[in-house]
Amino acid sequence: MREVVFVDGVRTPFGRAGEKGVYWRTRADDMAVKAVRELLRRNPSLPPERIGDVVFAATAQVGDQGLTLGRDVALLAGIPETVPGLALDRMCAGALTAVTVGAGEIATGAADVVLCGGVEHMGRHPMGAEVDFNPRFVSERLIDESAASMGQTAENLHDAFPELTKEDADAFAVRSQRRAAAAWQNGIMRETVVPMAVFTDSGWTVAERDEFLRPETTIDALARLPTPFRPGGRVTAGNSAGLTDGATAGLLASEQAADELGLAKKLRLVSYAFAGVEPHLMGLGPVPATEKALGLAGLSLDEIGLFELNEPFAVQVLTWCRGLGVDPEDERLNPYGGAIACGHPLAATGIRLIAQLAYGMRERGVRYGLTALCIGMGMGACAIWENPDAD
Amino acid sequence: MPTEFKLRRVGRIAILTVDNGEDHTKPTTLDLAAFDSLGRALDELEAEPVDGLLLTGKPFVFCAGADIGMFEAAQGPEDALEITRRGHEQLARLRALSFPTVAAINGACLGGGVELALHCDARTIAANVRHFASPECFLGIVPGWGGTQLIPRLVGARTAVQFVVENAMERNRMIEARTAHELGFADRLLEPVEFVDESLAYLRELVADGFAREDADLSDAAEVCRKARARLDGSLFGAAPAPYRALDLIEGAATWSIEEGYRQEEEASAELGRTRQAEASIYAFGLTQFRAKRPLPLEAEPCRIHKVGIVGAGLMATQIATQILRRLEVPIVMRDLSQEIVDRAVAEVGAAQKGRRAGFLASIVQGTTGWEELADCDLVLEAVFEEMSVKHEVLRALEPVVREDCAIATNTSSLSLAGMASVLARPERFVGIHFFNPVAVMPLVELGRAERTGDEALATAAALVRKLRKTAVLVADAPGFVVNRMFARMSSVTGEALDHGTPGEVVDESMLRLGMPMAPSVLVQMVGPKVANHVLHTLHAAYPDRFRLSATLDALAAGEEPAPTGDSPSTWQEVQAAVLEGLADEAARMLGEGVVPEAADIDTCMILGAGWPFWLGGITKFLDQTGVSERVAGRTLGPAAARATA
Repeated sequence: MREVVFVDGVRTPFGRAGEKGVYWRTRADDMAVKAVRELLRRNPSLPPERIGDVVFAATAQVGDQGLTLGRDVALLAGIPETVPGLALDRMCAGALTAVTVGAGEIATGAADVVLCGGVEHMGRHPMGAEVDFNPRFVSERLIDESAASMGQTAENLHDAFPELTKEDADAFAVRSQRRAAAAWQNGIMRETVVPMAVFTDSGWTVAERDEFLRPETTIDALARLPTPFRPGGRVTAGNSAGLTDGATAGLLASEQAADELGLAKKLRLVSYAFAGVEPHLMGLGPVPATEKALGLAGLSLDEIGLFELNEPFAVQVLTWCRGLGVDPEDERLNPYGGAIACGHPLAATGIRLIAQLAYGMRERGVRYGLTALCIGMGMGACAIWENPDAD
Repeated sequence: MPTEFKLRRVGRIAILTVDNGEDHTKPTTLDLAAFDSLGRALDELEAEPVDGLLLTGKPFVFCAGADIGMFEAAQGPEDALEITRRGHEQLARLRALSFPTVAAINGACLGGGVELALHCDARTIAANVRHFASPECFLGIVPGWGGTQLIPRLVGARTAVQFVVENAMERNRMIEARTAHELGFADRLLEPVEFVDESLAYLRELVADGFAREDADLSDAAEVCRKARARLDGSLFGAAPAPYRALDLIEGAATWSIEEGYRQEEEASAELGRTRQAEASIYAFGLTQFRAKRPLPLEAEPCRIHKVGIVGAGLMATQIATQILRRLEVPIVMRDLSQEIVDRAVAEVGAAQKGRRAGFLASIVQGTTGWEELADCDLVLEAVFEEMSVKHEVLRALEPVVREDCAIATNTSSLSLAGMASVLARPERFVGIHFFNPVAVMPLVELGRAERTGDEALATAAALVRKLRKTAVLVADAPGFVVNRMFARMSSVTGEALDHGTPGEVVDESMLRLGMPMAPSVLVQMVGPKVANHVLHTLHAAYPDRFRLSATLDALAAGEEPAPTGDSPSTWQEVQAAVLEGLADEAARMLGEGVVPEAADIDTCMILGAGWPFWLGGITKFLDQTGVSERVAGRTLGPAAARATA
């Protein structure tokens, strides 16, 4: 098996899904094209015809996210027609799966360079809107009905682990917002976010920043928010990620191809794992996935210097911390904030995590880092990365 | 929705979007309210300046120019003056902004759209823009929002004349992005995919580096315009004033200040706005752009067309088959008496196909001398010799072979549809589809409805015409339908003049001075003297009193030297007057007989089928405007009395 390196990753700013969001009039595939073209611009030494495959993830594979997205986006982005593409779906871990699929192609020698990405326009494709649940799930009690609503699975985590309180979740959310605000302030986000001109009902504008940023958020303000998933519940709009539009794109290469083409080797893929849990406790998924990936890597959690975790719900991150024994205030955890502050366009998020991890690991000289996400219908994903330049 | 200029600030940059809130099928146009909206945006920009401004349009459209309805509603010279002045007022403010401005031409950019873009310091254009033009002169007016002044300053007199006058008069020829960039209209030609982003980057460059541009050298303007005037005289004979006025304004740009130029444009617009040519042109524009595109009033759905039969393999049949194969991409069977002729036609149709599927298309044309091969056609069109007995023979042989629901069409231009259909067991399936020569070029098709023609056959024929990207005008079953009848009436009058010794050049002059696209002598040669004479004979048979036969045409058709009597030659003025009176009389009769319901239909036919100019409004608008119809028919042909006075 050949070594796989992460060369670079970039994303559009993330927007608020729906009519008030900046991307309401923008197509999902156009957002993906923007991310892809910026990625190629940032890596001019890569001849586009050397890309072996374009792997794009979307949860809703219909409309402007349909038509074998990887192929569609490649052609729209001006990549030569000789480069093939595919589309895949693993819900919230779509882009991470695009990366692991691409890594597989590279490791086995099928491709030297793979362009991966993910996009989700949740305004145009609300989660589950086009899904036809098999009635057997309910009639045979294969899953708890609450598994279909991500917000309810988050409430379920509070039930399962009563020590994780709403106050803990709100405190985590405030931290996420503060860290994200600081990262934007310090220009860190500019390393991985490309502004995009978008047409809106009030004319053209430029999407420059994530729309969900609330740097002024306070615990008191969060405490007063309603709990839409359960009366008297704990999950609020403030301690979870909003419905989001956004796209990401990343480049993987074999170590050899990266050397040959002069591409950066920001990270080396060490191991990855996916795991399943009870669907109504979806947010628990990253715990076994992380344990599995660590086992495959032969590493202990102590050896990991940076964690980029998705934050669909604060309680989900707290659940991971509890399971792995990490302090939620640990500086290694989401140093630039997370999805609570920037949003979570389902299938796009994985590459945002990897790109930020790459930046953070190199900034800090950290040797090992991990990215992890929970996945709807009771799964988790984790990938462990090594900084080739760390001593 | 009304057009608005929508201002958004992005940091120290502002983006102004001209948008009517509709999708690209309804292009953004400018009216007075739009300029008010621009004024409000400029108020904001003047009060709170930015580092730079990007002006662009909604997706796929930059700006399609002035709202034509505004000119239609204009009551007199004061209105035209007001429209021009209000535009100048705001555009001058746009041009005077203290920071760099870039127009990002992201889509169709026409007329006032070009002028809007020209009031910015610099322009980017997306490589996929295909419609960039100043069509004003074609519409009987001039670019009046600074176009005649800024275009020469930007690209020089020669290009300005070509763009503003010559392209417009060439049936509104438009240029593409690459050409616009090469000619200097745009400073950057950018890929469409990230066009607005890259235009913003260009604007930021200008903000950082500053921007200055020198006016083009206009020392040659007088000479360039003089030559252009001479060329115009050779084709227009002064029949339309707008292009001449535009040349004056372009020439003036060499010496006037912008403000003086604006005033001159205002004066010219006020003057031209009340000319009959402007009124007729705007009327004709409405006919071809909107009215002709309305669906026909038919109460049936078209049948599918998966296979087409063409009976006949002559010139028209071959051209029609070529177009049907090209646009419908369905199997075609051509049938004629001689295998040799059929083979030649099939080869020609196949060879005329272009593109990647040409080989396949050539493989689905088939020729035959039998009838059985037509059995599974959905539509069969005959284009055999224009002789009733021949037509009957074809229809008798054809009908028993084809399916009951197969539409049968004829390309006849002069025979009675009902007469032809009399031999059919199912006459409701019979319809006239009259194409014009050359079929690939002429946009008109006369759709003939005989007394017993059913809506389904008409709907199927109309669907065919639409797929051929042509315009169908529904006409009743009358000899010559519209175009040939008008042509024949004209030939009858000009033929009589020739018979009596009027020189051919004088007859030609009589029509060229109207601004007709072609001299009668050239037209007869193009159509073929035989065909032209045949049409006249057919109309003569139907209406012997009005369609007098011409000894000159008879001789030409027979390939002999005409021998005019020379007893009473006419002047070009006399010939012209007689032709116009004949046309007015014929148009009035056609409306009376219900050949078409409205004068506008006649005009649509003459513009699209005969290439008669916009500034005559086809022909009835001109006949009404000049009082000919009143004099000949005792009433106007169109609904409203002509407003123009000049």
